[in-house]
Amino acid sequence: MTTRRAFLADLTWAAATGGAAVQLGLVSMLAGCERRIEPFARLSPAEARTMRAFAAQILPSEPGLPGAEDAGAVFFVDRAFGDPFFADTVPIVRAGLAELDARARGAGARDGFASLGDAEQQKIMRLVENEPYFAAARTLVLIGTFGDPSHGGNRGGVGMRIMRMDHRPSYTAPYGWYDAHI
Amino acid sequence: MRISERTYGERDEVDFVIVGSGAAGGVLAKELSTAGFDVVVMEQGPWEQPAQFTHDELVVERELAMLNRAFEPHQTFRRSASEPTAPVGRGILYRRGVGGSSVHFAANYWRFRPSDFKERSLLGPISGTGFADWPITYEELEPYYAKVDWEVGVSGAPGVGDPPRSRPYPMPPLPNKSSGVLLEHAATKLGLHAQVAPMAIASRVYDGRSACGACGHCAYYGCEFGAKSSSLVTMIPKAVATGRCEVRTDATVFRVETNARGRATGVAYWDKDGRERRRSARAVILAANGAETARLLLLSTSPQFPHGLANSSGNVGRYIMFNGFAFTNGRFEHPLNEYKGPVATRVVMDFYESDPRRGFYGGGGIDARFPYGPIAFAVNGLPEDIPTWGVDYARSLRDYYTHTMRLMSHLTSLPVATNTVTVDPDHRDRWGRPGFCLTYTDYPDDMQAKRWFQQRTQDMMEAAGATRVWNPPVQPVDGGVHLLGTARMGNDPRTSVVDRYHRAHDVPNLFICDGSSFVTSGRGQPTMTIQALAFRAAEHITRFARLHEV
Repeated sequence: MTTRRAFLADLTWAAATGGAAVQLGLVSMLAGCERRIEPFARLSPAEARTMRAFAAQILPSEPGLPGAEDAGAVFFVDRAFGDPFFADTVPIVRAGLAELDARARGAGARDGFASLGDAEQQKIMRLVENEPYFAAARTLVLIGTFGDPSHGGNRGGVGMRIMRMDHRPSYTAPYGWYDAHI
Repeated sequence: MRISERTYGERDEVDFVIVGSGAAGGVLAKELSTAGFDVVVMEQGPWEQPAQFTHDELVVERELAMLNRAFEPHQTFRRSASEPTAPVGRGILYRRGVGGSSVHFAANYWRFRPSDFKERSLLGPISGTGFADWPITYEELEPYYAKVDWEVGVSGAPGVGDPPRSRPYPMPPLPNKSSGVLLEHAATKLGLHAQVAPMAIASRVYDGRSACGACGHCAYYGCEFGAKSSSLVTMIPKAVATGRCEVRTDATVFRVETNARGRATGVAYWDKDGRERRRSARAVILAANGAETARLLLLSTSPQFPHGLANSSGNVGRYIMFNGFAFTNGRFEHPLNEYKGPVATRVVMDFYESDPRRGFYGGGGIDARFPYGPIAFAVNGLPEDIPTWGVDYARSLRDYYTHTMRLMSHLTSLPVATNTVTVDPDHRDRWGRPGFCLTYTDYPDDMQAKRWFQQRTQDMMEAAGATRVWNPPVQPVDGGVHLLGTARMGNDPRTSVVDRYHRAHDVPNLFICDGSSFVTSGRGQPTMTIQALAFRAAEHITRFARLHEV
């Protein structure tokens, strides 16, 4: 079940779960590089920009609450585009990203959806939120935010922080407030 | 740890070939090999070890990598036989691999009650159904429930209304979760009774296995601690350790072979390289689950058995039951953190019995749980009136995930002859074998039971003090993991497939023991009864074999 896990992603997971110091150093270095130069294998630059903006609208960041961009959801989407499991989803999402850009250009944005301001992006999101591609792309963003970091997203355990999970491989009781206090 | 196993050559005649290594097959393999018989278990999946299991929600819950759908996506569904078949979402689900679905089950181990075996006599007939008494009683099965408790490993404590038990639980209950505390609170307020949920999970080191690590990944996941009492870590290792049991993995049985005298001679299967091979045996035992067992029988046609093996009644594949479910979700002021711990720790059984005053047949138990990993919760776990994207959505995920629980009703399903699992020649698997076609319409009482129970869980959620209560819609069945009733047990060969000892009425050395043997559905947690039946069947099969009556 682990065959699809890439070396870099495993190291990122080690960082998320408190791996060895030497790994952390390497991961920091690689992660730093990633932010600047990590190429997308399957998303075109335009698709990546649009998907990033879309993801940031699905789960925006605000102080104290990280979002899909912080989780690197788009990096999961890039991998999903090459995953046979998502083969049926990819053309739907790809066409959806193109439509978001087309609608943005219709609204006067020459560089597509990502170049619009928040209010304009949200206006388009409301217009298309019942389209099948919207649900498909949203699901990819959510897997990229909350899924296992080995798949390229949920970087630094951001998804667990959004959900306020104390993420560990095992736990001991008490688990919650009610079994601790009643 | 995988123990080195005995292997049997092609020409070695063995006493039993068992198809399936899951809840029933594991018990049968262990019991029969311990009794001194040579046994080969045929398992179509691999032999994974606990250390190989993962918490990866994408792989396990969305790709369903451990389940049949990852290997055989071609299933079809229809509401009635007059409709065209259509591809189905999840459909019939079970695990392929040593231990079968006992590897990924939630480990709820409720016993049936005495009434479950004689409801037809207690309540009378139900028009348009095959509602019938079992040919055995709770009293006959009780010693084998006790064997499951002790040999498989169940933790728990007695509760109000429990059926009689001859031995106490071998292990104390698992620690209570917040959802269990809240269910107790609601029950007390409403004059109901919450009791410990019996779980096939080690609450302490047991029989060489680790105690539960409360990782929160039971349902759909394998247990990396070996604490969940699956056949993988309980029965199969003991069977292999006898030196009389081979577990042949990646072996897909496609036909039960018979001779001119109408006796089973063994099975034909594809090995992992796709080669067609045979395994002869003095007797054949099918324990492949309620869907696979039915398909295997239906595909094992011959001039002598033109409608499938053991199918003179025409009831192979009929009367499939999945158990009904209904639920209410609730959010609470403080964190529950239901992503930790086992699936459920408390259950309310006050509505177990069917009560004619309700106006419909049906009963069940209600437990408190939270069936969401973070991906699933983010996709569709919030109430419908909360936005599905944006700042309010993100804040709601933050505020709901750790504060939410579900009260879930586990219910009866009536046996209906037109609810069937059949084979669909238009949709074939990778071997070219016809896939499953499920035809299913909920009997009206089953839908009424779901709606009635949802009202009960709503009342209980409010009594528990939830700050927000919401009811996901009650849904009709279109598949499931409980695969029951498709080779039903009975005394009359005209209306049943196996007798009270699980021997096929039509084939004297063919035994069938898994969920397919069920006559009625019970209340949503069938595995404890499947394993009790398997212990009982093994004892009788041993007796028959020693008397040369197999």
